Amino acid sequence: MALREVEGDAGLDLGEVLGPSSEIATRRPLSGWRRVLAGLALPAVLLATWAVLSGTGVLSDRIFPSPGDLAHSAHDFVAAPRRAPVPGVVPFKGAAVRHIRASVGRWAQGYAIAVCVGLPLGLGLGLSRWMAAALDPLYQAVRSVPITAWLPIALVWFGLGEGAARFLIFIGAVSPIVVATADSTARVPRQLVDTARMLGTRPRDLARRVYLPAALPGIVTGLRLGLTLGWTSVIVAELSGSTSGLGAMMFAAREVTRLDQIIIGMATFGIIGLVGDVLLRTVARPFVRWADA
Amino acid sequence: MNQPAALAATGVTKAYGRQEVLSGIDLAVAAGEVLAVLGPSGCGKSTLLRVLAGLERPDQGRVEAGGAAVTRPSPERPMVVQGSTLFPWLSLRDNLAWGPRALGDRKAGAIVDELLEATGLTGSADLLPRQLSGGMRQRAAIAQVLANGPPLLLLDEPFGALDAQTRLRMQEWLIGLLADRATATVLVTHDVEEALLLGHRLLRLSHRPARVVDEVRVDLAPPRGRATLTDPRFVALKASVLAQVLDA
Repeated sequence: MALREVEGDAGLDLGEVLGPSSEIATRRPLSGWRRVLAGLALPAVLLATWAVLSGTGVLSDRIFPSPGDLAHSAHDFVAAPRRAPVPGVVPFKGAAVRHIRASVGRWAQGYAIAVCVGLPLGLGLGLSRWMAAALDPLYQAVRSVPITAWLPIALVWFGLGEGAARFLIFIGAVSPIVVATADSTARVPRQLVDTARMLGTRPRDLARRVYLPAALPGIVTGLRLGLTLGWTSVIVAELSGSTSGLGAMMFAAREVTRLDQIIIGMATFGIIGLVGDVLLRTVARPFVRWADA
Repeated sequence: MNQPAALAATGVTKAYGRQEVLSGIDLAVAAGEVLAVLGPSGCGKSTLLRVLAGLERPDQGRVEAGGAAVTRPSPERPMVVQGSTLFPWLSLRDNLAWGPRALGDRKAGAIVDELLEATGLTGSADLLPRQLSGGMRQRAAIAQVLANGPPLLLLDEPFGALDAQTRLRMQEWLIGLLADRATATVLVTHDVEEALLLGHRLLRLSHRPARVVDEVRVDLAPPRGRATLTDPRFVALKASVLAQVLDA
């Protein structure tokens, strides 16, 4: 992360940075039906290829289950009657809602903590040269530690269970939020801040009234990345002794070599991650529409 | 003009590291007067304006506005720079209301309506800055800082990014606006024609480090506008200043 000195960057041309004559390369997004069609085309081709390869026996069930088997397992996962819970056993049949609820709940809690910590920390790093100089080297080192390397220490600190899971999701989600918030805050054009000061804005109001809204498009990008990385951390988090959640279900499936269940878990991860991103973008859009080219 | 100075700078010197940018600048602008500061690109004109605005401290010398030392930016002497300084996430109306609201002025709505009328932007009040043309954005940026009724305005090549026709229309609009409000103005430009068209006095700066080279009084009959450009006195004055600039 390149944390710039906020007061040291003279001479930004705001017209070029923010105006309609911007030199930033932007492309007009595809219209609604074209976008849907383009998004569905590749999965449709892959599905057809998969069906042909499985049907002709080129693709063995031991390597990749057929679409029919997978559909059958997916039906079991979602709609089969639930069995009475057995302690220590991670169920699959009829357990979709239970696992999704557990994973999404952990994700939401870990992500909420990451937002509460990441936004103020990123703002502080972006606004204060002293804070950036003092914290940035340590922070860069800490955030370079892979999420899996945090697992042992999370288990020591929090023990098996929810605390460790939330902690690991927090670790996964917080970095992009901090980096994007700090970087976009430090890049707020000085002319905007000067103008606000010359219009009578009190120094203590600058962060809330100028830096935050001006940096919001970048912050939203960080929030989206944090949401996705937090979600991918769920699977690591559910290695920490969980008996519920999509990650726990997938690891239980691995132990009995149920490739179909593992793939259903992966697909569910993908779908929920996509839905989460779409929801966040929808909520954020009214606040960052001004930055659309 | 024998009015008291709205802004005065005495012996202002400024350096960045070992690079001296301003060297002992003296200037004063009276209430209602437009002082044009002319200098080559990169000579330190913008730095001078930032010092006058209180955005930067001089290493030596003193800046006073209304008899008080200038040590920080103030709504009493706002600066408008080349390119829009509007807040891009706010509508034009909210941009214009920013200053009065920041100062707790309860008449913010009426002030904004008046400024929208004066700038011919009433129909664009609810648009975002990026939806405005370059000329509209510059008019709005000037209106934004005028919303607090400042006695002094600092303009840093405000029309530098506009095409020639739009620039002339904007210059005529600004001449009328400043005359109506009797706002003291320091206009920094590298355009001799703009300096003579808008300025009552012209201060010429040297190459970096900027020093005041000479001062020219611009005695041209009001109202100034596009007809002034062909006035023989304007043409002669422009030729004289251009010769000095080119010989420097």
